[in-house]
Amino acid sequence: MIDPALGPYIFDTSAQSWLQRSTDPAARSWFATYLQRHQMDVSSITVMERVRGYAQLLQQAAPEQRGHIAMKRRFYLDSLRQVWPVDRAVALYAAELAAMLPQPPTPLKRSHRMSESRQDRLFRWRCDILIAATALAAAMPLVHHNPRDFETIRMAIETAPGRFPTLGPLNLVNVLRLAGS
Amino acid sequence: MSPKRRTTLTLPVEALATAELIARARKVNLSVVIAEVIDEGLRARLAAEREGERRVKAWEALCQSHSDLTDEQWMLLDGIILSEPVDEES
Repeated sequence: MIDPALGPYIFDTSAQSWLQRSTDPAARSWFATYLQRHQMDVSSITVMERVRGYAQLLQQAAPEQRGHIAMKRRFYLDSLRQVWPVDRAVALYAAELAAMLPQPPTPLKRSHRMSESRQDRLFRWRCDILIAATALAAAMPLVHHNPRDFETIRMAIETAPGRFPTLGPLNLVNVLRLAGS
Repeated sequence: MSPKRRTTLTLPVEALATAELIARARKVNLSVVIAEVIDEGLRARLAAEREGERRVKAWEALCQSHSDLTDEQWMLLDGIILSEPVDEES
């Protein structure tokens, strides 16, 4: 288990969702202890991904369901505290990373009937790059639930330190490790 | 003003020296400065604890409000949009 006092961390979109859905008592307890000490720091890109998701849900919802979706969106926006912007430093680090890693390292997501488009996969990959760049610029560890994509970014930074001369490594924490789940 | 009680404290040398400097500059005795610092520190700690409790309650309400979402709806909130039919042959 990771001591909740060791924060703050930046939480990736996937980690935020995992924590919201988790029914594991240890994980819930860990995060409650964390929130007693720290805010939930997220990238503005996570907010964009989330709000885009609510917009998609609203488009798909039956008219009688739209009020429920709008309420979820409002709860989410009200819960936001520290939202890190895409500033000059984030833009520069993300640009270097996008040039080094133009293609996503993992395949399209799919269910039994539907698949992600290549365009949406590339968009999601660039969102991950921007979130990683935000954590780098903030010099904060990044909590995620997407090890294959973020490990690829971490390794690219380690293998090309000349492109990121003033930065430390990208510190990653898998959300499953927080409470020893 | 709350009642006062005499006690003995062991304080870090540097912090005590700073408090003595402040007391001299303000022409008050050391006890006044130490009492103010303790009072401010305790108020800040209490406020931080209350803010922490508010964050936990807001998080629990957020989780509760999303508890009826399906896996596919959660994928949308994770930025994953499944928009193309899978070719059964592939």
